Amino acid sequence: MPSVVRWTIVLLLLAGVVVLGLVTDDQRILTIAIQVFMLSALASSWNILGGFAGQISLGHAVFFGLGALVTREMWLGGTSLVLSVTVAVVSTALVSAILGVPLLRFRGIYFAIGTLAVGVAVFLTIGNIRPGISSLPVDALREYTFTGPYYFTLAVLVVTVVVSIWLKQSRLGLGMMAVRDDEEAAGATGVGPLQHKLSAFVISAALAALAGASFAYFSVSYYPNFPFSVVWTFEAITVVFIGGLGTIAGPLVGSAFFVILRDTLPSGIQELQVVLFGVLFILVVLLLPGGLVEGGQRLLAALSRKGPAPPAQQRETAEKEEGKRL
Amino acid sequence: MLAVDGLEVAYGDLQVVWGVSFEVPENSIVAILGSNGAGKTTTLTSLIGLIPPLAGEVTFKGASLVGMPTHRLVELGIVMIPEERSTFSTMSVSDNLELGAYTPRARASKDETMDEVYSLFPVLAERRTQRAGTLSGGERQMLAIGKALMARPELLILDEPSLGLAPIVVERTFEAITDIRDRGVSVLMVEQHVEMTLEVADHAYILELGRIVADGTSSQLADDPRVREAYLSL
Amino acid sequence: MTQLILQSAVSGLLVGGMYGLVALGLALAFGVLKVLNVAHGELLMLGGYASFFAFTLWGIDPFLSLPLVFIALFLFGVFLYQILFRYVTRFEIDNRIKNSLLISFGLVIVLQALAVRFFTADERTISTSYSSDAFTIGLVRIPVVRLAGFVVAVIAAVALEWLLNRTRFGRAVRATAEDWTRAALTGVDVKWVYMIAFGISAGLAGIAGSMISFGYAVSPSIGLGWTLKALVVVVLAGLGSMRGILLAGMFLGLTEALAAVWVGGAYREVVALVVFLIVMSFRPEGFFGRARA
Repeated sequence: MPSVVRWTIVLLLLAGVVVLGLVTDDQRILTIAIQVFMLSALASSWNILGGFAGQISLGHAVFFGLGALVTREMWLGGTSLVLSVTVAVVSTALVSAILGVPLLRFRGIYFAIGTLAVGVAVFLTIGNIRPGISSLPVDALREYTFTGPYYFTLAVLVVTVVVSIWLKQSRLGLGMMAVRDDEEAAGATGVGPLQHKLSAFVISAALAALAGASFAYFSVSYYPNFPFSVVWTFEAITVVFIGGLGTIAGPLVGSAFFVILRDTLPSGIQELQVVLFGVLFILVVLLLPGGLVEGGQRLLAALSRKGPAPPAQQRETAEKEEGKRL
Repeated sequence: MLAVDGLEVAYGDLQVVWGVSFEVPENSIVAILGSNGAGKTTTLTSLIGLIPPLAGEVTFKGASLVGMPTHRLVELGIVMIPEERSTFSTMSVSDNLELGAYTPRARASKDETMDEVYSLFPVLAERRTQRAGTLSGGERQMLAIGKALMARPELLILDEPSLGLAPIVVERTFEAITDIRDRGVSVLMVEQHVEMTLEVADHAYILELGRIVADGTSSQLADDPRVREAYLSL
Repeated sequence: MTQLILQSAVSGLLVGGMYGLVALGLALAFGVLKVLNVAHGELLMLGGYASFFAFTLWGIDPFLSLPLVFIALFLFGVFLYQILFRYVTRFEIDNRIKNSLLISFGLVIVLQALAVRFFTADERTISTSYSSDAFTIGLVRIPVVRLAGFVVAVIAAVALEWLLNRTRFGRAVRATAEDWTRAALTGVDVKWVYMIAFGISAGLAGIAGSMISFGYAVSPSIGLGWTLKALVVVVLAGLGSMRGILLAGMFLGLTEALAAVWVGGAYREVVALVVFLIVMSFRPEGFFGRARA
């Protein structure tokens, strides 16, 4: 659709969401909204590494967790929120740069396995060194409102989306996508694969840390290793696949779908929501390579054309998506 | 024995075989000749059930083969030795032969067949416990054929048996193939080596760009001026 | 200090046997089907619970229930293959590994959530009359149950070796593992081999889980930790090779235990991770694997 229309819709949505935070007091709505923003931001950050640069990381929660950990400990220790978040993001970016250099030497599945290994190891280790629950102190609890976290998380999402949009149109982003599509060819034309992968890795980690900071700010009490849990990585990846890998809107659409559906399920089934989405994820990986966004695009294309695209073209598109996936 | 009618095969969107028809009568050696890219291997791959054909009929002793899973064809007595991919290099010679007699039908006469194979190829008996990956090219070819024989085939299909082998080894291989035909096994071979194949085959087809352009007995083809010019460099 | 080191070494070797046992199943699935099942640890967890409930509800000693657990998880593995992994084997090898990784990742989440729902998140251990008994040899204390678990691991490894190298089925499995096309041309029903191999892989995970719930503990979340260890062991032994897995497991267990003496127990996982990264970087074919050209 033409970009004027697209931008108008985006601005309207943004305005709507901003206003929503001001007019409603309903905790449930605000919580759902915050969860959507947070997951969208996390998913978008994963999308930069997985969708743009084509590197599937299964340890993304490490950076989300680090962002949460540093923010929480500094903030509850008396530092201002802004400073805590800044330190969290910068320190996570540094850690990701250090981890990225050895990890990114691995390709494809080995990278995925390596990141999974890091993710599990860090999760277990944090559980060992920070076993006690982290709770907001009593007076902070009494004064707790949703407003701060709401707009903070929304701001995090906006920043993440802006960075994604900028990246997609930039030379750096173009280089990342070249590496994704064919690493050897990219290297041969002077696009340094390692630099581009590392850039994607660090940017993605920094944004994940930012999302983690919003988690630390929003949550009343949790076990410190919870944001490091592989479930966060899984939800981010699921949401990106459902919404559409490599697109800007994909993580947002998928995340809204995921969170809202999860919350509107009757309570008996709600316990098994994770099961439901696990199944959904598996089906998406197997059946629908492009996720909801591609599904939607295909639907629109099919409706506007005289008929569906000729089989050869469809198969070719599907194969390209298939190859792009990992 | 084997009848192929109007076979059409594609790799993805690229059609490679266009309406190929041929027959393999009992107790004969039939060859399909053609240069690289003619579609020979694709025809065989489809015949053996690894790629479903777009169209066409394949019948073996009257029964249709299309859609049957590959391992079932072996049970029926059709064994294919693919181009350069037949023996298991991490397993020993005897393990390879034992594995060749995988189907129940073949297992019944396994020991007998193994003796036959060892007498046909004494070198294999010598290297019984050696890992197949350490054998020379010619020895591996013999093992491949021996392994195929273990399955007690009625139809043996060979994809470019001469590939990568020294001429004298090719000669010996073709001798073994003739021997096999004389024992009652029909043979279908696909080859690039026109001259040597025509000496051995009873009937041959020429495949060009996925279509049969000529067929006949070896002497007929050898006399055909088009064939002589294009393939026999005469 | 010597006592600490010796004790740690022995404990490390014993748990290393368990790492090896867990790795056996993972290596089998990967070697034969070329499928990376990161939900292997969840199968282990289910085996642990099966053993636990067999004991708590029906009083069956965990060693006696081993065959039952194997069969139960074997069947579950076959079931998982039929509804899920069978479709992954449609892809060629590269995509197969990648997609099985993603899909089993989803399976991890599903199985974990189901376990929490039905078993609660509490940690469980099987306590029999003899579960706190131990041999004491010199300075070292060896718990009976853990030693027995180690023995089970050795028996399983030997049995698997026998199955793969001395039986017709094993030959078919090895052939399929080397090249499934060639195997099909030899008359092997590849889909059936895949199914059975995957079932055996799950069964092995089950008995590992059984021994773990007995000598250590089981809870819904232990899966990934053990999968990680198994992955490290598989890589150490050499991707695709079954030989030397038990030894590689013991090596990991020993290294981990000794390193923990210096670095502190809280960082044991990091040790495994570092070992993994080092081996992957410098000797990707592992100790016993063959280098790829």
